Amino acid sequence: MPASVAVEPAAVLNGVANTEVEADGTIATRAHYSPPWADVSIIGIAGSSGSGKSTLSHAIVNKLNLPWVVILSIDSFYKSLDPESSRRAFRNEYDFDSPDALDFDVLVERLRDLKAGKRAEIPVYSFEKHARLDRTTSIYSPHVLILEGIFALYDPRVLELLDMKIFCEADADTCLSRRILRDQRDRGRDIEGILKQWFTFVKPNFEKYVNPQRNVADIIVPRGVENHVAMSMVVQFIQQKLLEKSTHHRAALTQLEIGAQSEPLSDKVIVMNQTSQLRGMNTIIHNIDTSSEDFIFYFDRLSALLVEQALNKIPFTSSAIPTPHGQTYPGLRPKGEVSAVIVLRGGAALEAGLHRCITDCKTGRVLIQSNVRTGEPELHYLVLPDDIAWHEAVLLLDAQMSSGGSALMAVQVLVDHGVRAERIVLVTYSAGRMGLHRLTKVFPEITVVVGHVVQDIEERWVERRYFRC
Amino acid sequence: MPNVRPAPTQCVGPDYRSESQKPTAAVSTDVKVDTVTILPQTPQLIALLSIIRDKNTQRGDFIFYSNRIIRLLVEEGLNHLPTVEHTVTTPVGRSYDGLAFQGKICGVSIMRAGEAMEQGLRECCRSVRIGKILIQRDEETSQPKLFYDKLPEDIADRWVLLLDPMLATGGSAIMAVDVLKSRGVPEERILFLNVLASPQGIQNFATKFPKLRLVTAFVDQGLDDKNYIIPGLGDFGDRYYTR
Repeated sequence: MPASVAVEPAAVLNGVANTEVEADGTIATRAHYSPPWADVSIIGIAGSSGSGKSTLSHAIVNKLNLPWVVILSIDSFYKSLDPESSRRAFRNEYDFDSPDALDFDVLVERLRDLKAGKRAEIPVYSFEKHARLDRTTSIYSPHVLILEGIFALYDPRVLELLDMKIFCEADADTCLSRRILRDQRDRGRDIEGILKQWFTFVKPNFEKYVNPQRNVADIIVPRGVENHVAMSMVVQFIQQKLLEKSTHHRAALTQLEIGAQSEPLSDKVIVMNQTSQLRGMNTIIHNIDTSSEDFIFYFDRLSALLVEQALNKIPFTSSAIPTPHGQTYPGLRPKGEVSAVIVLRGGAALEAGLHRCITDCKTGRVLIQSNVRTGEPELHYLVLPDDIAWHEAVLLLDAQMSSGGSALMAVQVLVDHGVRAERIVLVTYSAGRMGLHRLTKVFPEITVVVGHVVQDIEERWVERRYFRC
Repeated sequence: MPNVRPAPTQCVGPDYRSESQKPTAAVSTDVKVDTVTILPQTPQLIALLSIIRDKNTQRGDFIFYSNRIIRLLVEEGLNHLPTVEHTVTTPVGRSYDGLAFQGKICGVSIMRAGEAMEQGLRECCRSVRIGKILIQRDEETSQPKLFYDKLPEDIADRWVLLLDPMLATGGSAIMAVDVLKSRGVPEERILFLNVLASPQGIQNFATKFPKLRLVTAFVDQGLDDKNYIIPGLGDFGDRYYTR
């Protein structure tokens, strides 16, 4: 297992600053932040074909009722068949129930990526074609991953990554009847073929490879979903894990506060010049008696200025410009594409300003909400431009940043999708000093453009005023 | 050409980047006149100017990018208007020590290129009154001549934002200010907003009106024999309206 994969939850979330040497030789202190998905808990569920693994997995997901639990079926990792094997497969003479049919190398690689908090591309396998399809499904930021399949507890490298190992048990009659129903309905096979497969491959393989997995399991669950005691044990275990993660995440965020008040802001935090117009607009925006019409007008006007300022921080390159009088002007042009990512919902209030400057700007969207109970930021929704990793600059827009928790998460999401931190420009109307400090401690490379800095945490009133609800 | 100075060239970019990480470009010529404000020579402003200077830029882009520069000019220009301290209560129940805008304003555009700047003004000041002045060069004397003006009646009580994107010799701008002064507007309440100026134009204008404030995006190298600003951007009105 590579060293980058953290197993101990305590080691993953630490807010302690450590020192590292930057490329230009200066020593900078930077703090570390790990998002709650950086140490995904992986639950492995193995068992004979038809033993109720996937039913159990879905029951667990339903019972947890959280957006961050993902089921990964090991079936996605079937190897693509060569023409000869493929012909045998169509005659039901290919052994799909042997571990050899699965691509464990890719599985391990993907699980390690997920464990490291990265995005993982999962292959899509077609049972009709017996081949991997060109497209993939991506999994990103689950807090719990359920790995389900007959060989979920087979490969020792996988076992190392599992936080809980479950073996599903059911008697052979039940398994066979479930399998007949499923393969006929979902996988386009006929009964004769299904039975041929069962007696040639499934049964012998069960004895040889599947059943021995019992020995490494933490729990053996007989009767699947009907087994309420087992179900609640598993669910409780996962809930406990999630609670630990949330506690660590919040503790790490708190850790980053230390020193916020005493240290000066990073020179990459650009606070808008407090001109009389800006202060005048701020006064109108801050005034509770301002009409909605005026609020929106002045906020749009100010957001255009914020975006103009942010666009000064994108990379440019020299360019000789031919003027209509036959002269040459040594000018500049942007080095490449600039896109934006809106942190919903507040960031959408800056979109008018964004599109005033770049009419056709590609915009990704990410919904991060603070948990009403704990205040912990949670990632709910994410759509980014496909080519975002190649954009020269990405403007990350949010109306307000108070504690910096959601901004940290949003930057982490971009970094996880291949955007280099130095290409990120966070644009926000107002920011708390502590939030700015936290963010720039963790990501010293990013640039922040802020309309005005407030001393402490403020609730998100700007978006409420802008959207009027 | 005696009227052309060399363009000051420098690295342009944010302070935290080292010189080697910043591309070089020609920035505005400096003029040592207190009443003249040149917009900060940011890389984005240089890039916007690069687009509108480029003879290959199509009209749609010319309009879009010059509007962006004009908006920056208007925002800067408005900073020269008077304000008064004003404390308000915020939606979260705090008190905010801010400023309130004071005084009535109006815009006056020098036709036709100046009219291109009206949208930028309206985007910052809704329902602003806008007067117009038409000045053309007299074919016989080659001196500017006033053909038409329509100004708000109470203009003498207002701050005036005078709009003209190009300041070459300053002939028509000087005439426009004379018109405003004849209507009772004091010189110190006039703000001239301009996209591209020549050093000579600024000199002429500032000598004539030492109290009038001028805001420009860029002071170019000079004028050619035909009194065109160079390197320039061509005829602003033509490129904005007809070409």
